[in-house]
Amino acid sequence: MRKKIFFCLALLLLSGHLIAQSYKTEEGKATFYSKVPLHNFEGNSENLIGLINLEDSTVDFYIDLETLDTGNGKRDKDMKLTLDTKKYPYGEFFGKLVSDFDSGSSEVQNAKVQGTFKIRGKEKQIEVNGTLQMTEEGLLVKAEWILNLKDYEIKPPKLLFIKVDPNQKIKIHALLKPVQS
Amino acid sequence: MKKLLAVSLLSFFVLNISNAQIERRRANPHAPVEETFLTKNIAGLGTVQLLEKGDLNSMIQHNFGDVKGGIDTFFGIDEGANVRIAFAYGLTNNINIGIGRTSREDNVDFTVEYRLLHQTKSDKIPVSVVFKSNAGIRTQKEAFPLTFQERLNFFGSVMIARRLNDSFSLQVAPMVSHFNTVVQTRANQKIFNTTYGLGLAGTVKLTERKSISFEYLPVLGNRLSNTKNHAALVYELETGGHVFQMFFMSGRWFTEQHLLTRTETDFFEPNFRFGFNVNRVFGLL
Repeated sequence: MRKKIFFCLALLLLSGHLIAQSYKTEEGKATFYSKVPLHNFEGNSENLIGLINLEDSTVDFYIDLETLDTGNGKRDKDMKLTLDTKKYPYGEFFGKLVSDFDSGSSEVQNAKVQGTFKIRGKEKQIEVNGTLQMTEEGLLVKAEWILNLKDYEIKPPKLLFIKVDPNQKIKIHALLKPVQS
Repeated sequence: MKKLLAVSLLSFFVLNISNAQIERRRANPHAPVEETFLTKNIAGLGTVQLLEKGDLNSMIQHNFGDVKGGIDTFFGIDEGANVRIAFAYGLTNNINIGIGRTSREDNVDFTVEYRLLHQTKSDKIPVSVVFKSNAGIRTQKEAFPLTFQERLNFFGSVMIARRLNDSFSLQVAPMVSHFNTVVQTRANQKIFNTTYGLGLAGTVKLTERKSISFEYLPVLGNRLSNTKNHAALVYELETGGHVFQMFFMSGRWFTEQHLLTRTETDFFEPNFRFGFNVNRVFGLL
């Protein structure tokens, strides 16, 4: 009988421990920066969704690509066609935090994640450097990396007759809150 | 004891699910349908497709003489083109304004479009509804004197369209046109200043960037005695920056008030003319 009670308590305690170690986005922003000669533009989305589990170091982020807004309807349409968002609506990352993180510290800490980035149905193993900071509001995540469209078999679109640079800088900024039971 | 065990196990598994990959969900399942038609116009008939805020559409529309002339007129091409140059601008995502000039009668026209409803992907709103008004003025030098008022023509319609699936859209548009002056060109010709009609349009997407479209404008009620119902069959091709439209149309004009009242060739006779439009959208913001 004691063993059973101990087992139940252990399960509940472990569940509670896991809750405290998981953080999910309440607000997240992703931005990509594109370049063509003599012209730069960016696309933004406020719909970055993410979960970080400090217990098992899992990092999971995704974005609905149709929410990206470049401020130009025609360009948005071309972008959606290029990314084939009807068939592949999400850009997503799933991986692990491979650097140490002290959740008891409120300092900005460098962080490194490794995992799979998937867009337009193609996957690639990537490594992303960024920062994590435990704040009063939650876990603040900032990161940026270069996405080469050709790695995902995406043909760079053209503006007028000039091809967009295949290297797109991606930036994310998200505040993750502890997952509540 | 069993209950405690069950609750413990349930808590453990439910809470552990949160550690797996997050379920992917669309950000806005009620997002508006973005592309009911490829452009703002079929051949001459307007569509519910509006420009987004800050976008400028430049459009050049041409058509030629009717193909009945055969090889002698190179199927109408030798008869010279009617050309309309037009610009439209998205004041907001729901309000577009425009200006155009047609080479026939040097008609200059002004357009205002307002979207009342926008179809959503979830079908919460099943149709898009756009109100369109156009006012034109013939500015050519006339053999007979016309006042400013007498030179004016007007058009109004409520365009109701639905994208039925990824490749098929339909539009119905009750419409009215009014000319302050109607010239009697034949003896005993019945003339009316106001004409009512129903604009019908549809498009079938062949690929993401190619489609076949049609427009048909039957007159309802009174019509000038030589007026025929306008129709057009259009092949549309979107390249990276342009939308090209190549078509056969019976009407000679590109403004709907004229297409409705002054089409004198019958598409189904068959008698029509070749034409093409070139559209280009620029983002100004």
